[in-house]
Amino acid sequence: MAEGLTWNVYDANTMTQADIYGEVLCKLGETNERIVGLSADLARSTKIGVFAARYPDRFFNAGIAEQNMFGMAAGLALSGLTPFVSTMAAFTTMRAAEQVRTDICYQNLDVKIIATHGGISFGQAGTTHHCTEDIAIMRSMANMTVIVPADGIECANAVVACLERPGPVYIRIGRGFEQACYSSDDYGFTIGKAVEITAGSDITLICCGITVLQAKEAARLLHESDGLSVRVINMHTIKPLDTEVILKAIAETRRIITFEDHNVYGGLGSAVSEVIAESGRACAFSRVGIPDCYSIVGYPEDLYNFYGLDTDGIVKKVREVMKRDFEEEENWEDGF
Amino acid sequence: MAPDRNRLAAELILQALFPLLKVVIKDSPSIAKKFEGVTAKIQFVARDPDGDVGSYLSFTNGSLDVVHGVCEAPDIAFEFRTIRRMVAMLGGKPALVRIRGIRKIGLFLKLLALLASLTLLMPTARPKDPAKRRLKVKLSIYMMAAALSRYNKLGDPEMTEWTGKQPERIYQFSVSGQDDIAAYLRVKAGKSQAGPGTCTRRKPFVHMKFRSIDEALPILTNDINMVKAVEKGYLALDGSPEYSRDLGNFLIRIQSLVM
Repeated sequence: MAEGLTWNVYDANTMTQADIYGEVLCKLGETNERIVGLSADLARSTKIGVFAARYPDRFFNAGIAEQNMFGMAAGLALSGLTPFVSTMAAFTTMRAAEQVRTDICYQNLDVKIIATHGGISFGQAGTTHHCTEDIAIMRSMANMTVIVPADGIECANAVVACLERPGPVYIRIGRGFEQACYSSDDYGFTIGKAVEITAGSDITLICCGITVLQAKEAARLLHESDGLSVRVINMHTIKPLDTEVILKAIAETRRIITFEDHNVYGGLGSAVSEVIAESGRACAFSRVGIPDCYSIVGYPEDLYNFYGLDTDGIVKKVREVMKRDFEEEENWEDGF
Repeated sequence: MAPDRNRLAAELILQALFPLLKVVIKDSPSIAKKFEGVTAKIQFVARDPDGDVGSYLSFTNGSLDVVHGVCEAPDIAFEFRTIRRMVAMLGGKPALVRIRGIRKIGLFLKLLALLASLTLLMPTARPKDPAKRRLKVKLSIYMMAAALSRYNKLGDPEMTEWTGKQPERIYQFSVSGQDDIAAYLRVKAGKSQAGPGTCTRRKPFVHMKFRSIDEALPILTNDINMVKAVEKGYLALDGSPEYSRDLGNFLIRIQSLVM
């Protein structure tokens, strides 16, 4: 993490992803005067308000006018500034999709988008405020980098790293209250390079966002109860995708399941399946996410359980996929 | 029902050990030369009320095939009145055997030289010659994989229970820097398969990698135990330590069964 950031692991356990984002952005703003902030009347919810309070002259509230806000961000970027734009994921990727695409991505502008309340993390706010399409939309926009951090610590790392990456970046976080997956920030976060959370040879679980921690716990349980060796990959960057780690998993474990808080179409699972299909190698594969439906309403943790994205759901799915063959090979004759 | 221990031992020797004679011929030019152009069948059979146990070596122009079962009109036949006697003799102990065709003295002497090469597998064998040291390590590694697979196929209850609960997994044995000294055991839901070389179907669940031929030998002769060998770096174990231990325990049981 950048030198001088003052939050610590204790903070990571008590602050939400958005809280940490707000704090990190303030610290970065101290040394980088090109950073400006924008929000669409959601400065408090998205925590960019911390930056607004510290640097009122470098913050712009566009009101509930997301399309205008992204147009403004494009203009600020063309002026040599680095805009950090924060609003909820649903409004970023759907209401303002055209502006993000045409004003920002088409010109490959240096705009950093921190979208909060991704997936079904805004559970009880209802389906209109859930956002299970954003990864699919954003990864199909040329020039866009798409990051889904596993927890607050990784969110901080992503915010710091995105400053060094030219062009638009979309960082998708939850509503807050997500548990910490990492115990420190020095695990080597690099945009486009996945992180192996646990080593394993029986099956690989490729995850992003909140599912990383759940998979980590599931791997532990499966080792203890079933003696399974489960590899867990934190695929924090959906685009550019770390194809190398997927190809390695195909060759070495021959079983892959993806877990994501997103529609099963177009997100992490789809991205991984493209790599598997192009590899030409057989692999038992399954995607877990929100099935092709509009998500139900409830507390986030209950929804994660309902859609099989919590530890119990992951354990159940792994047991199911372990029973599948990954390649036709019924010759069991000894070869000596 | 658990298989009879003597029958199990005999089948292990005939089905896991005998096929390694092909490796001996391939890797020992002096022995290969002896069998050049030889076409003959040599039978090993033990009589038993529940069914005879046997295998035969079938040479065709010097090329060896090991066939499980009893052949008609062998050139030489080793016949044992009981399975126990066969196990004793093939395990290196004295035992009474009736030999038919002993008058084919030339073939008989060639055969003795070939069978003698298998004594390299005895823990007490400590060859000095580098070629023999290499062959001992290769045969031992092949034997480990082959015997484990056969032990499972022959229905040892504990081994079948162990393989029965596993998804498809590879147990790989190798010596660093020696591409041809490698063998694997593949298991899946009670089935097993052993083969030479490196299994490329997936990453090994457990990989037992000996650092060199010279460092493998003291482990194979029981001069150093596995724990010490790992400590000293003679052997690297990559993968589940619990399953490595299980594998080691099965190998100890197989060794005590056949020797």
